[in-house]
Amino acid sequence: MKIPSEATLRRLIAFFATLGIGVATYITIVESGGGAPACLAGGGGCHTVAESSYSHIAGINIAIFGIVGYVGIFLTAFFVSDWARLAGFGIALGGFGFSIYLTYLEIWVIDAICQWCVGSAVLMTILFALNAARLIGYAGTSPGPDGGVAEEMTPGEGETGAEPA
Amino acid sequence: MSNKREREKRREERLREEQKATGPGEQRKKLLQIAAGAVFLAVVVVVVLIIANSGGDEEGGDATSIGDVQVVEKLLNGIPQEELVLGDPSAKVELIEYGDLQCPVCKQFAEETLPPVIEKQVRAGEVKVVFRNFPIIGPQSAPAGAAALAAGEQGKGWQFLDLFFHNQGAENSGYADDEFLTAIAEAAGVPDIAKWNKARKSEELEIEVEETNEEAERLGLTGTPSLAIKGPGTNGTELTTAPASSDGLEELVERAAG
Repeated sequence: MKIPSEATLRRLIAFFATLGIGVATYITIVESGGGAPACLAGGGGCHTVAESSYSHIAGINIAIFGIVGYVGIFLTAFFVSDWARLAGFGIALGGFGFSIYLTYLEIWVIDAICQWCVGSAVLMTILFALNAARLIGYAGTSPGPDGGVAEEMTPGEGETGAEPA
Repeated sequence: MSNKREREKRREERLREEQKATGPGEQRKKLLQIAAGAVFLAVVVVVVLIIANSGGDEEGGDATSIGDVQVVEKLLNGIPQEELVLGDPSAKVELIEYGDLQCPVCKQFAEETLPPVIEKQVRAGEVKVVFRNFPIIGPQSAPAGAAALAAGEQGKGWQFLDLFFHNQGAENSGYADDEFLTAIAEAAGVPDIAKWNKARKSEELEIEVEETNEEAERLGLTGTPSLAIKGPGTNGTELTTAPASSDGLEELVERAAG
């Protein structure tokens, strides 16, 4: 299968990471506005998940970890270097693994599904695939003569760049 | 045009030459090795986390080791109770908790927020605390609530509630089965386990759990623990969420006392 140009991948990564930042921020705001702690009724999967003992790690809302992760991935999309490719892949891998764990908790332990958490897991999965494609397709390719500058994007081997105007 | 194309081509060739010279293959190999290592590590971490959680017995929910029996007994010893009402029946303040035995926030409320109020104001006869089932967490919540009511029929309702909370397992992990409920009832000191066993499965108690559940819904409650308080200092029965600290709860009770 042909891997899209790195520029396309980077644009897609920035786009999905932006959506991820939005979703994680929404979850953080909704959760922190809940007032007194309670286990909530009414089939609201998100509330059940948010009020479960798994929603915080060391007192920090896990959605905040999500925001940090998405911002990190977003930033890596703006750099063209092996460092950025590997960092993007690493963060997305961590987020993807964490999403698997959280989805497992939702289905088998908390017994409630939160559509926003599922949305975030889907975004993280897409970002993991995009960053993996970026790393596999372009690792070791030179970013250009002065290294790491976004404008100096070079197509990967076997790729043809955009037709000059 | 052709000039430009040629320039592009030359540039690409130059880049390829450069890559050959600096060994991009080596660099690429190294990066992919790091990535593969990271994937392996991530798989291991996820598997370990899932296994660590699947046991569900790392804290609580274990019928074979019911803890804190003495703590609960010490807290409740000597305080009158009838059904799920703890304290002097003629106390001027009535504090009603709508709770779910499987709710972790109710556990926290039972372990941290309520005990100082029980030690002082309930023991002094100023307030009585009523537990009403509002089973919202999962399918084992209502049977657990009926089991508490059945223990209440034998004067051990609050021991049952508190021991359940102290030994609570992970939400909906399936721990609150017959074996666990029986272990709690035994540790609570329910005198006639056979009678308790029959009562907890009776239609009468099933209906009672349903009724308190409907009452909570009618009141517009959305979560557990939710509190209702009535006393000389309140305007009828007032609904409130559970204060996060025992100081907050003590204040609430004092205000209701007028």
